[in-house]
Formats: sequence, C-alpha cells, structure tokens
Amino acid sequence: MTSLTTSPALSVRGLTKRFGDRVVLEGFDLDVQAGEVVSVLGANGSGKSTMLRCLSGLTKFDGGSVNVAGRQVRSGERVPEFAMVFQKIHLVPELSALENVCAGALGRLSFWQAWAPRAFPTDVREEAMGCLDRVGLAERAHDRARRLSGGQQQRVAVARALCQRAGVLLADEPVSSLDPAAAEQVMRLLRSLADDDGMAVAAVLHQPDLARRHSDRVVGLTGGRITLNIPPSALTDADVDALYAPDYAAEGGFS
Amino acid sequence: MSATLNTTPARRLPVPPRRRTARWFVITAAVLAVVVGLHVVAVRQTQFSLVQLVTGWHGIWAFLFGDPKTAGALPPDLSWKIVGPGLGACVVTFSMGLLGTTFSIPFALLLALLGSRTTSRNAVVYQLARGLMSFLRSVPALVWGLIYVTAVGLGPFPGVLAIITHNTGVMGKLWSEAMEETDRGPLEALHSAGASSAQTATHAVLPSVIPQFTSLFLYRVDVNVRDALTLGVVGAGGIGFYITQAIQEFQFNVMMTYVLLVMVMVIALDLLSAWLRGRIAR
Repeated sequence: MTSLTTSPALSVRGLTKRFGDRVVLEGFDLDVQAGEVVSVLGANGSGKSTMLRCLSGLTKFDGGSVNVAGRQVRSGERVPEFAMVFQKIHLVPELSALENVCAGALGRLSFWQAWAPRAFPTDVREEAMGCLDRVGLAERAHDRARRLSGGQQQRVAVARALCQRAGVLLADEPVSSLDPAAAEQVMRLLRSLADDDGMAVAAVLHQPDLARRHSDRVVGLTGGRITLNIPPSALTDADVDALYAPDYAAEGGFS
Repeated sequence: MSATLNTTPARRLPVPPRRRTARWFVITAAVLAVVVGLHVVAVRQTQFSLVQLVTGWHGIWAFLFGDPKTAGALPPDLSWKIVGPGLGACVVTFSMGLLGTTFSIPFALLLALLGSRTTSRNAVVYQLARGLMSFLRSVPALVWGLIYVTAVGLGPFPGVLAIITHNTGVMGKLWSEAMEETDRGPLEALHSAGASSAQTATHAVLPSVIPQFTSLFLYRVDVNVRDALTLGVVGAGGIGFYITQAIQEFQFNVMMTYVLLVMVMVIALDLLSAWLRGRIAR
C-alpha cells in the first residue's frame, strides 16, 4: 500500500503550451497523490484536454516540468506510467473486448511478440482477463467491442489502461458520451481504482455534480490558468458559474 | 380531433431575401457555357448521329432476325453443343477474374500500407507507393493483357497476369483510402499506450478496416470477372473469346446464347457479392 509521505505520483510545475501566438496553458501546476482522484473543470477551450494530452505525450509542451513516480518526463515522451481514457472511448470496434485490453500491453512488447490481435502471448492474455474481471466484464471477453454498450466500452477502455500497468490514469471527459447510469458506474470504477488499487486519477469532467461526488479535489481552469484548487465540498454554484462563463458568452443570444 | 389546445402560433416575420450577387450570376453562366460547349465538341468528335441510327435500321433488323445468308441473333441457339462449351468458357472467365483478384491481395496490401497516411511515415515511400498504384491502375487491364500476350503467348494465363497487375493498383488505392478514412481515435489511444507505428497498423488500423477491405475485395471480383470477359476478346480465352469468334463467323444466334450466359453469370455474381457485402455491413 502507498503511504501519504511519499512524493506525489504525478507532479506538474509551470506547464506552458502555445499554439502559435495563442497561449493555451500558462504556469499550470498539479499534484496528484497515489489513491487520489482529482477533477479538472473548465469551459471549452480552457486548456483541460490539451493539459492531459501534454502529460500523455500526445502533444508537446513548451515549458514547465512533469514528474511521474519521481522521474522527469520530457516533452512529447510517452511513458508507460500514464494511461489515457478518452471521451470517444477509442476502442477498435471490430476487435473483441479481450484483444482491445491486450493492446494496452503493446508498449512493453516487441512487434513480433504480438504481430496481430490474435497473437498475444498467453501471459498477456491472462493478465488482460484479470483486467477485464477488475472492471466487471470478464464474461464479455470474446464479444466484439462494437457490440457492447457505451458504458461497457468505456470500462473496457479502463481495463486497457490497467493492462498497461499505469500508475496514473488520465481521463479526458470519460463520461460525457454516456447516459447517467453508465456515467455513474464508470465514475465509481475510477474512484475504486484510486481507493483499492492506489492509482492516481486525473479526470477532466463537464459535470460539476460528478466532480463533487467522486473526487478528492477539484481544479478549475480558466483561459489556461488555474483559478480554483479546492476540496469538492467547498465548490459553490458561483464557482461553477464563473468557470463556465466563457461557454455562456460563446453560445450567445439566449440566456 | 386535434389542435384543441389554445396555443398562440408564433408571430410571423418576413423571410430575409437570400442574397445573390452579380458574381454568382456570372459564375453560374460561365459554368453553364463551359458544360454546353464541351458537349457540342464531344458530339462533333464522336460523329454522334440519330439520323444514322434510324437509316441503319435494316442492319439492326438483319442482326436480330437474320437475312438469307446468316442466322439472326433471335432466337438464340440453345442446343447443348453450344451451351455446354459456353458454360465451360464462363468457368474459365470467372476463374481469371477470381485469381486475378486474390493473387493481387499481397501486392495491394503492401502498397496500401505504404501509400496511406495513417500507416506510412516516410514521405518519399508514401509518394512512390501512390505513384506506382496510379501507374498500375491508369493502364487498363486490356492493355496489360496485350503486353503479357506478347510475353507469354495467348491463353487465360496472360489474362490473369493482366488482372493482377491492374487490380493491384485499383485495390491498393481503394484500400489505402479506406485506411485514411478510418477513425484515428483508436490509433491515437494505442499510440498513447506506447505502441509503435507498426503495432498501431496491425492492432488498430487493419482490424478497423477489415469490413471495408472485404467489401471492396468482393466488388473487385465482380468487376474483374467482367474485365476477364473483355480480355477474352484480345486472346485470353474464356467466354469473351467465344463471343468474338461467333461474331466473326456471323453466327449471331450462337453469339446471343453466349451473351445470355454472360448475363446470367454477371447478374448472379452481382447478387452474391451484394448479399455478402450486406452481411458484412451488419
């Protein structure tokens, strides 16, 4: 078990990202402890998704430092400690749930160890079964991903992240495309990954209510800067309105 | 009864006129002029003439119902000595189309992988693969057939080689486009999980496009069997060759039998291929 005296699983200092002249992130700091769920709230274009993409190496950042498990991560470097879960889930629809989960292990396998989705080594397939069982979908292992419901697909995506053996889960609006019941189930799963498996979870959310109920801390982003970093119980409706004010302005006309 | 609720309809507002500028009229007139002009040139170049079609009616009559010297296309000669060999020739034509398509799979797959932005990183390799595919498909199977006939002689074998060559270009292009249109999300997900680009190709891109690949393959079998027919005309055997022979000997009733056989084969193949593609899409 992890103890609270160790350094944070994820530590971000002064993260800066520009697209041309436009500053998307400026001086972004974030610490996430092992076993902690941190929600990131903010309007469209506030830099939430860019922040996650910078951490996972999908986008290069221009300044600042990222430390994971005490090791510094270079800009654009993909490290196995970070696993990503996406709003649009991004499973391969034609492959089985099990094959999708196995794909999480690709980073530690050579090309010929798993040259095709049907050709994963037995130990990886067994580990993937364990991950599927962890998200409650062991009995759907051989079902094609596209046959599963949205919530089940997102849980398979979480199992893929587990099969990656990541310590930090970065979730980019993981429940935005799901119905309320499925969203609740996925949020409980993320909560339990933190509580029971000691993962550090950073989730970008669009639902302040889910953030209040499932996270240990809420971080608010406005225009690429942190404007809020509080426990969820302290999050007021006024805070939420202030965070999403740019969205209301952008929609225009009707208020 | 309906509309018993006392809701007031929304008040009426004048619809703002859609603005059409002088520029819009100029462009529309120019496009019309170009299209009409092209057709005038095309009619002249092809000597397209309805008058000639009408005055040539007795030629068509002789073809259909015969004249004292030759048998007409109607009724077709359905005797077994014609239908039997005709069926055999259909099998040859179908085999040419089938082999030409299946044997081009490895080459088409290789070129598609190298010539698709989702799987190819190197710009030079990408352009070379695209260029080779364009070249192979811009030369018709018929021309490839004539080339191979001079190399390996007459018969179905040069026909198969011709279809393999042309189909590699066409199917490679269709497959590479299917891969470029595929959702990049799963690819990005595996990339973020640390997969190499070769791994994302085999674990995300290829599995995602298998339904499209199969469907395009079936479509190509369909087209290539029809190409095999025309290859028969230039000496690659099969039913196409039988049809040419019958025409050269003015046996139009025999020719009609072969044409009917071709029709049955092409329709059957079309239905089968459409049915299979429908099953895959579900």
